[in-house]
Amino acid sequence: MRIFRNLRQALRGLGQSKGNTFLMTLGILIGIGSLTVIVAIGEGTKAKVLERIANMGFGPESFSVIAGSGRLFFARTENPTSMTLQDADDIRAMPTVRIVVPRQRVSIKAVYRANFTETRVYGATPDWEEARGWVLSDGEFFGDEDMERKRRVIVLGATPAKKLFEGEDPIGKKIRLGQVSFEVIGLLEEKGLTESGYDPDDRALIPLTTSMSRLLHQTHLDSIKVVAVSPEKVGEVMEAVRQLLRRNHNLSPLAEDDFRFITPEGIMQWVTQSEQALNRMLILVSTVSLLVGGIVIMNILLVSIRERVREIGIRRCFGARRSDITQQFLFESVFVSLLGGVFGVVFGLGVCFLLERFDLLPTRVTWEPFALAFAFSSVIGLVFGIQPARQAARLSPEETLR
Amino acid sequence: MSLIEMRSITKVYRNSGFETEVLKGISLDIEEGEYVSIIGPSGAGKSTLMAIMGCLSLPTAGTYTLDGEEVEQMSDRRLSRVRNEKIGFVFQAFHLLKGVSAIDNVMMPLMYSENVPKDAAGRARAALTRVGLGHRIQHTPGQLSGGEQQRVTIARALITQPRIILADEPTGNLDSKNGAEIMAAFDLLNAEGATIILITHEQEVAMHARRIITLKDGQIETDRRYENLPQSEAGPAGAGAK
Repeated sequence: MRIFRNLRQALRGLGQSKGNTFLMTLGILIGIGSLTVIVAIGEGTKAKVLERIANMGFGPESFSVIAGSGRLFFARTENPTSMTLQDADDIRAMPTVRIVVPRQRVSIKAVYRANFTETRVYGATPDWEEARGWVLSDGEFFGDEDMERKRRVIVLGATPAKKLFEGEDPIGKKIRLGQVSFEVIGLLEEKGLTESGYDPDDRALIPLTTSMSRLLHQTHLDSIKVVAVSPEKVGEVMEAVRQLLRRNHNLSPLAEDDFRFITPEGIMQWVTQSEQALNRMLILVSTVSLLVGGIVIMNILLVSIRERVREIGIRRCFGARRSDITQQFLFESVFVSLLGGVFGVVFGLGVCFLLERFDLLPTRVTWEPFALAFAFSSVIGLVFGIQPARQAARLSPEETLR
Repeated sequence: MSLIEMRSITKVYRNSGFETEVLKGISLDIEEGEYVSIIGPSGAGKSTLMAIMGCLSLPTAGTYTLDGEEVEQMSDRRLSRVRNEKIGFVFQAFHLLKGVSAIDNVMMPLMYSENVPKDAAGRARAALTRVGLGHRIQHTPGQLSGGEQQRVTIARALITQPRIILADEPTGNLDSKNGAEIMAAFDLLNAEGATIILITHEQEVAMHARRIITLKDGQIETDRRYENLPQSEAGPAGAGAK
């Protein structure tokens, strides 16, 4: 086919001017290379953040409702008392909800003999273990009977266990939270510090009923953890919970919510906000470098047309149509651009490998850079190649051979 | 009907507001199989006439009919096809593609044919063999002598089996030995039936043709036909002129 013959002529033309081909390729290589690295760093960071969020107890199908207005971890109201067990029961009745864990929370001093430590104590229901997906390293979690009898039993996280017992086996031992004595019945498996320095192991869990009547002496909840039947249902469930709580709390249509949601996406947005801004700037920079690459291609092609006027004339003399010349130069432009794209991706992957290898930045290679490289390179080759190609085709064969 | 029919052809070039009339009402017919030289001093309009005959340029006025088709009415696409199928060019400066082997240079016109023959490479090899370069098909122009390069251009002109071979000063860049060899090749091609039109300012080269058209100041000064090759006659003006 004629188009393939023109493609072959274009490849031959590029082969004959290797210097120009190299320079044209280089511009695109840098642009696509940096784009590949930026996308990989963006994905890597996102994966890392998601991992952190999962460590905080948020799977993709779960979210928390926290008492008090505000956003995420930042409350605008102090000591809100509006959230109750009734709210939790009503949420549990929804068909798209799988697990509901009402919680109270207090930071309190835990004491074992001469050792003491300040830790976060949560009053929760036995469903916590499943909702949180956190297994025990020893002992057992409290059950329904412990809830009913308001037993003073406690499950310790790794940090208070270490600080209080210093290597001694904590199971069956008694510790004090304030003035109340609790028996240690289980130990949570250690998660370790997150990169930001948050210690998920610095916690302890007691039955919610015990917390309400023996430790905090209050009936309102601090938060409710909700697990939907599937990740796709989370949005729908959140909206239903919002309506339900506004109704239960008798909020007027104009009043703001007296509760707030913490979702994996919300945390993700919060954590990655600054990184996203940086990413956007880097993408802008690499887009500019791609544009510069395109302009380099256009200029080199325009110069090369001046150098190759005679060649164009010869081809026209022997039967090349204007469209053949346009195609030939367009193919040259698209081909060098694609070549730059391929080398750019390879270069970018190399940089990603080094970043991971030397633990400088998290990266994750996905298919997007490949698609982006292909799309960007083709478009740049076409856009910046069309003008030189048309200029070449417009040359009169008689004049080019003079 | 003649292969080439030109009636009152004029060509005017406009440049920065200046008009130059290079051809002033040329009328001529060339029959199939003729061997024609167009001679004249520099600026007589020879190359312009060749550009129009080769469909590389259109006349400003007048009509040019090539093989029964009016050239002025042709689209750019049709002109390209006519150049490809009906005309073979040989240039003084060879105009070969740099860095491209002799065989690929010869094959180039076939790449723009409507139907590329399956044995394009075989045909190119045969054309090169015919001009005595069968052993140098992979050489690039830089590796060939001037005479060899000109023979490659003849092979390239022949590859599409055109109706007309247009040669513009084909021996201009060659020494006398190579020049004689190239002219011998044209003589042979004409003997085999090819229509050959030579543009030259060298009387000796023009003498190979059976018809010599002399141009002066954009007009035909003389148009003489010979029974025998004029170079075999006593004088350049040829006693055998019709």
